[in-house]
Amino acid sequence: MEYDEKSRYIELNMGPQHPSTHGVLRLRLTLDGETVKKVEPIIGYLHRNAEKICELDFYCDALIYFDRMDYVGAMNMEVGYLEAAEKLLNIEPPERVKWIRVIMAELNRIASHLVWAGAFGLDLGMLTPFFYVFEEREKILNLFTEICGSRQETNYMSIGGVYQDFNDKIIFRIREFLDEFPKKLEEVYNLFIKNDIFISRTKDIGILEPEIALSYGVTGPMLRASGIPYDVRKDEPYLVYDRVNFTVPISKKKDVLARFIVRFEEMRQSVKIVKQALDKLPDGPFFNPKAKKSLMIRLRGEGDVYARTESTKGEFGVYMVGDGSVKPYRVHVRSPAFKNLSVLPYLSKDVLIADMVAISGSIDLVFGEVDR
Amino acid sequence: MTYEIKEETGKDGRKVFRIGRDHLLELMKDLKDQGYDHLTLISSVDFRDRIELIYHLEKSSDNFSIIVVKTETKDTHIPSVTPLWESANWDEREQYDMMGVIFDGHPDLKRILLPEGWNGYPLRKDYDMSKVQFVNMDEEGNDYVSFDPGDGW
Repeated sequence: MEYDEKSRYIELNMGPQHPSTHGVLRLRLTLDGETVKKVEPIIGYLHRNAEKICELDFYCDALIYFDRMDYVGAMNMEVGYLEAAEKLLNIEPPERVKWIRVIMAELNRIASHLVWAGAFGLDLGMLTPFFYVFEEREKILNLFTEICGSRQETNYMSIGGVYQDFNDKIIFRIREFLDEFPKKLEEVYNLFIKNDIFISRTKDIGILEPEIALSYGVTGPMLRASGIPYDVRKDEPYLVYDRVNFTVPISKKKDVLARFIVRFEEMRQSVKIVKQALDKLPDGPFFNPKAKKSLMIRLRGEGDVYARTESTKGEFGVYMVGDGSVKPYRVHVRSPAFKNLSVLPYLSKDVLIADMVAISGSIDLVFGEVDR
Repeated sequence: MTYEIKEETGKDGRKVFRIGRDHLLELMKDLKDQGYDHLTLISSVDFRDRIELIYHLEKSSDNFSIIVVKTETKDTHIPSVTPLWESANWDEREQYDMMGVIFDGHPDLKRILLPEGWNGYPLRKDYDMSKVQFVNMDEEGNDYVSFDPGDGW
């Protein structure tokens, strides 16, 4: 049967209010039957211009806008901002603070990957794992509530320190969680990996060659699943990551399933890191006296710095310029999910719509961060 | 090499190349040939009389070590590096959207985060934040930006 060119392709609008677009992603699809011919992501529905708001506030106040970028991995965002701000303001956090930050960032990495796994399952039509992962995540958020007073947007860290010190009870409860968690993690992992439908929906789908990934600026678990062992925690260690023992999981399979396996292996490594950090946690002050509360708004910085950290999505970079006043002159955020999303049109050429949903799910999109 | 680069060290200890706008593409091509295959980010700073562009490049064969290239423009025009790195595509669209830098040679230069038709560039220092803009719909369903909340279809 012959089609004329005009009626052959259908334009379909997916999102911004669609269950499998992880927030407010809108995709303009050009379809030939069930096959995707072209994808155009349209973003910006959650845009708040945090970069401009940062310019209007003191150095210490800008932190809360970073919490609201990647709201499922808020601790990693805070670490990213403070790495840049502390370099610019020449303030060194005490030793104990560095270890506390590592513990919080890694716990949050586990929570973020768990949410991703649950949402990814939902994308593929698996409802069961969602409840398992959210139960585990709730335990981490309960720990956060006890430590910082809030669940997600914690605003726990501050320039040169943290808001509250760890006590023995907290350390005991984190250890208790870490003892039980690996068993539950394997349970969730098996729910996915022993499911034939899950394997056939993810295996050999969305293959991303390493050269293409580098050219598009892809980082994080997505790049590691393509076989390139790039992890800022190893390549340019910040905080105390050079003093803990862990491996960077990579996979040579390059497909959606590889990204899933890499993320789960990362969670196991995070458990290892937190255990070591709890053992090595030194005594000492939990803030730098140069940045105590009454002095915080008088901090001045000059020059420009770029600090990169490994957030849950990839390389999270903050470029910061100070002009010697109490407010930053310019803050620019390198959002990993933004860069990872830009490869979606390439990956979903000539695939089925259902596979495109699996691919966009494997990117780990959080729209607070893509749109900033 | 037919161009001049000023070499300096940044506050964070990274190597910085400062170059004029005319020779930017030649330098970028040379750097890509040297193995800098990962363009991490393009950022821009508005210094009122000029706009400075900052490129961070990473070398995958050398533990992703960073090199910084800085250039500046007075009339907001700059050559695009999208032919060299695909990741520059969205980065340059973002800088055009936020700072109003026009990248010559970019395949599809349009706004990315803000709707088409937005007035002004928010990250410029002279952007007027007191004027509220409203996004409505026009008759064809596209975004329609105006200063009047009741305007539009």
